[in-house]
Amino acid sequence: MNNISAGLAAVTVFLVAGCSFPYFTHQINTGTLRLDVEATWEGEPYALGDVAVDYADHPIQLHNLQAYISRVELRDASGEWIGNDREYEVNLVDFSVESPRIVEPFPTGQYNAIRFGLGLPPDINGQVSPSDFPNDNPLSVEGSAGMFWTWLTGYIFFKYEGRTGAVGSELLSEPIAYHCGTDSSYRVVTFELENDLWIWEQQPTAMQLQFDAAQALYATEPINVIDYPITHNGPGDTLAFALMDNIAASWHLVK
Amino acid sequence: MNRLMWVTAVVVCAVGCSRCTDPVECADCYPEPTPYELDIPAFFPPMDIPADNPMTVEGVELGRYLFWDPNLSADGTVSCGSCHLPSASFSDPAPVSTGVGGAQGVRNSMVLVNVGWSPSFFWDGRSVTLEDQVQIPIPHPDEMALPWHEALARLEADPDYPGRFGAAFGDPEITQERTAKALAQFVRTLISKDSKYDRWRRGETSLTDSEFNGYEMFLREGGDPETTPGGQFGGDCFHCHNEAGTLFTDHLFRNNGLDASFEADAGLAGVTGMPLDSGRFKTPTLRNVALSAPYMHDGRFTTLEEVIEHYNSGGVPSSTIDPFMKYTTGGLALSPVQKADLIAFLHTLTDTVFIHNPAFRDPR
Repeated sequence: MNNISAGLAAVTVFLVAGCSFPYFTHQINTGTLRLDVEATWEGEPYALGDVAVDYADHPIQLHNLQAYISRVELRDASGEWIGNDREYEVNLVDFSVESPRIVEPFPTGQYNAIRFGLGLPPDINGQVSPSDFPNDNPLSVEGSAGMFWTWLTGYIFFKYEGRTGAVGSELLSEPIAYHCGTDSSYRVVTFELENDLWIWEQQPTAMQLQFDAAQALYATEPINVIDYPITHNGPGDTLAFALMDNIAASWHLVK
Repeated sequence: MNRLMWVTAVVVCAVGCSRCTDPVECADCYPEPTPYELDIPAFFPPMDIPADNPMTVEGVELGRYLFWDPNLSADGTVSCGSCHLPSASFSDPAPVSTGVGGAQGVRNSMVLVNVGWSPSFFWDGRSVTLEDQVQIPIPHPDEMALPWHEALARLEADPDYPGRFGAAFGDPEITQERTAKALAQFVRTLISKDSKYDRWRRGETSLTDSEFNGYEMFLREGGDPETTPGGQFGGDCFHCHNEAGTLFTDHLFRNNGLDASFEADAGLAGVTGMPLDSGRFKTPTLRNVALSAPYMHDGRFTTLEEVIEHYNSGGVPSSTIDPFMKYTTGGLALSPVQKADLIAFLHTLTDTVFIHNPAFRDPR
């Protein structure tokens, strides 16, 4: 009897204690996805200040490229998109910075697709005040410098600024100022991965994310930079939407 | 026996108290500095205070003494406050400031308003912390022209400063780093938050029609939509003098079309060496702009009317002119009434409470 009691007690203790024992739990470990972001022009590395030629032979020199990237998510084998719960942890990619990168935590595991928001989702854009964020957050006054619109009470999602000139001209006298924002300009960029991506606990999984600044002018709809050099996504202005479609189609994921 | 103990206790206490009144003799006797509670106004963002320079009442007060002390200049005539006058919103009414011996600087003295929120300093951004920035004018030959080692020797010889350093930092040692920290603490307190604009934002007053029209102009895209896509006949001020956090600057560096070339002053390019940064200067805050004439990095414009006219003209084209400048499309096309409204709004940013705040004045 004593032996039976002792045995039952031991089993009970083992089951109760065992439930909290890591060996028996589905413990979620966390790893890191790192996206090294790079600007390209027709697939070749591009640095701000370089003079390139667009699809219509206009010379173009970009001075400023900045993009909000939000809600980076990975899709697992069950088809569920896995993100993080850091609601306001968005990324502001500034191509004037050397080696811009996006670093996001994810549960370790195997994934077959990646997606991110280009711009800020409506539940953030226009719903928050930059003053409410610590200064190291990209949504803060300091972090969003030059990327916040007062008059639309929201953020600029993408800045594409520089200069251009007539076909064949070396004189870059015309300004380009493409500022896209507003909730209607929010886009989601999705990459189906040929080979599954693994997130490991021990080391970050690094991928290269390229933005092709040349394709941003024609990827889905050609835009003539001389005829349409400026947008601020104001009321009735459809240029920004066309641009955002182009821009969303100009990202490339390189393993 | 009891009497002897009491006498002993009284003597010990008396000796201890007298030691504490002589802080130079007793470094351990300084009490902990009093934390300074910085009042962050409504609508402002949080201010980052360096972890190694927490603000204290004693540190701020020491910084105030240092800020106004002409003894920190070679000939004892120039203090920080000489070129940062409260009446001019802590800037200089002269286009460029005059330093020791009549030396002239090359740029207009920047206003010291809400600089605790600034991520960079000087027109070319060559300092990225206030603690670094405040160390530069003292030895600069065109400003206070006093080598740091001499400045420190003067502070050590002063009967008042060792005690003030002790009170601020726990012991009376006077170093360049501590001097800079105290100055930075004081400068961080220079917060303007009581302009008419602020009171309007807080719902305490209303703007006149002209001021409100000017505010709307401020926030509207510039240019004639016939010639400037997206133009709204606005002032286009908000892009750079952003209202976010009510700081009225984006703290970025821009070429606002003052010159066709940059031989006279390369601006940010002088720091970064990048051609794209040529002619770019820091966007100054517009708070107290009506008090801080003259304008631009070299003080070339003496009135707000001249400034508005510059932007209205579209500016001078150059290789790095900002795309916001309407230099190819005929400028902003503002009417005289619109210009007047814009200036009326800019006057709402004047904060007389700030410039008359006794806590910012020379304590001597």
